[in-house]
Amino acid sequence: MSDFLDQVEACVPALRRYARALTRNVDLADDLVQDCLERAISRPGLFRPTGPVRAWLFTILLNLYRNSLRSSRRRTWMLDSAAPDELSTPAPQLGHLALAEMGRAIDALPSEQKEALLLIALEGLPYQEAADILKIPLGTLMSRLGRARATLRSVTGTPAEPRLRTVK
Amino acid sequence: MSEITRDMLMAYADGQLDPATRQAVDEHLATDGEAAAEVAVMQRQSDAIRALYGPAGAEVVPGRLDPRRIAAGMSRNRARRFVWATAAAVLLGLGLAGGWFLRPVLEQRPASAVLIADAINAHSVYVAENRHAVEVGGADSEHLSTWLSNRLQTNLGMPNLEAEGFTLVGGRLLPGEPELGGRAAQLMYEDAGKERVTIYVTAALPDKEPTYQFSRYEGTDAFYWANSRITCTVVGTLPDERMKAVSQMIYAQLTEGEPEQTPYRGS
Repeated sequence: MSDFLDQVEACVPALRRYARALTRNVDLADDLVQDCLERAISRPGLFRPTGPVRAWLFTILLNLYRNSLRSSRRRTWMLDSAAPDELSTPAPQLGHLALAEMGRAIDALPSEQKEALLLIALEGLPYQEAADILKIPLGTLMSRLGRARATLRSVTGTPAEPRLRTVK
Repeated sequence: MSEITRDMLMAYADGQLDPATRQAVDEHLATDGEAAAEVAVMQRQSDAIRALYGPAGAEVVPGRLDPRRIAAGMSRNRARRFVWATAAAVLLGLGLAGGWFLRPVLEQRPASAVLIADAINAHSVYVAENRHAVEVGGADSEHLSTWLSNRLQTNLGMPNLEAEGFTLVGGRLLPGEPELGGRAAQLMYEDAGKERVTIYVTAALPDKEPTYQFSRYEGTDAFYWANSRITCTVVGTLPDERMKAVSQMIYAQLTEGEPEQTPYRGS
């Protein structure tokens, strides 16, 4: 039991980060994570995964996120709370403007692409684990990632690319 | 490696390739500037995403997201549910057997224990809330006082704990044990360090006996007393001395003008 809780605890920072990126709202994100943890911990032992819990927790979190999206389409309260951009201090080297633009571009992605892209680019999960979490085949994951990246590229423009153009 | 696909470039940018394939892509990139630029763009996208949201994973995790705390809260509820489920089964069995007169078996827990358990439960549920910690804010303490007094059918003033650094966050009405009045009020106070203390109040018990009791459950302290007018449980996780000072201050204020009930002053 405590081993299980240790594993869950180790995942909390990643869950918060992912939820924050999905919702772009500190409180909403932490509410989602709290819900997720409560559900996970209340599940009787037999219904818990035998191996690592990370993928399982992410699956629960995503389900809750999708449900909250669905109900927010019926009610509009989420528009209010999602409006302020509560971003953490971005790293200096990339420029606030470019980052803000990137944030908006990610936000505008279809949510299936956003969910996939953040699992890979932000969480650095292996493709297969991400595909399992999203319950889609590997090929579908790759094509969602490809489409997401192409959109981001067209929205945020192609920044100068000479650095890596090798002269040989 | 004969052909380098777009998917392969993406997997390369995401660091997902096995060493052999990675090396093949490396060699390919050295000769194909366009592919190299493609990879660079994807890596910059990932860098930007991590710069935007990565820091959220390094923040201090708030207490309400502590798995142990959540688990502790649940086992408490589960134990309660189990007790009630068992009690219901026993009652049904006895009832069917015509053993209705054995009902007192279920009432072994003294009222104070039930109220303290409820108070601690309510405390742990609501101190974890940020935006919905209270139902009525403390700004309108007069309204809060009138409302809760009416609902509990007793006179309830809001204790002033400024001297201990606590301000009233507000209060809420809660369902209580049916046989103990059915309603309870919770007042919440907070200090500058966001430390919270709650006061759980119900109307007086049928026996109206003055009594008091101190208990501790998993690091949470509860100071309970009852008099002819109310029962009150102060719940918090403060250091002992401070908890005592706060409890005494609340006790003094809520029993003001009732000289016949003075377990502390002893007259």
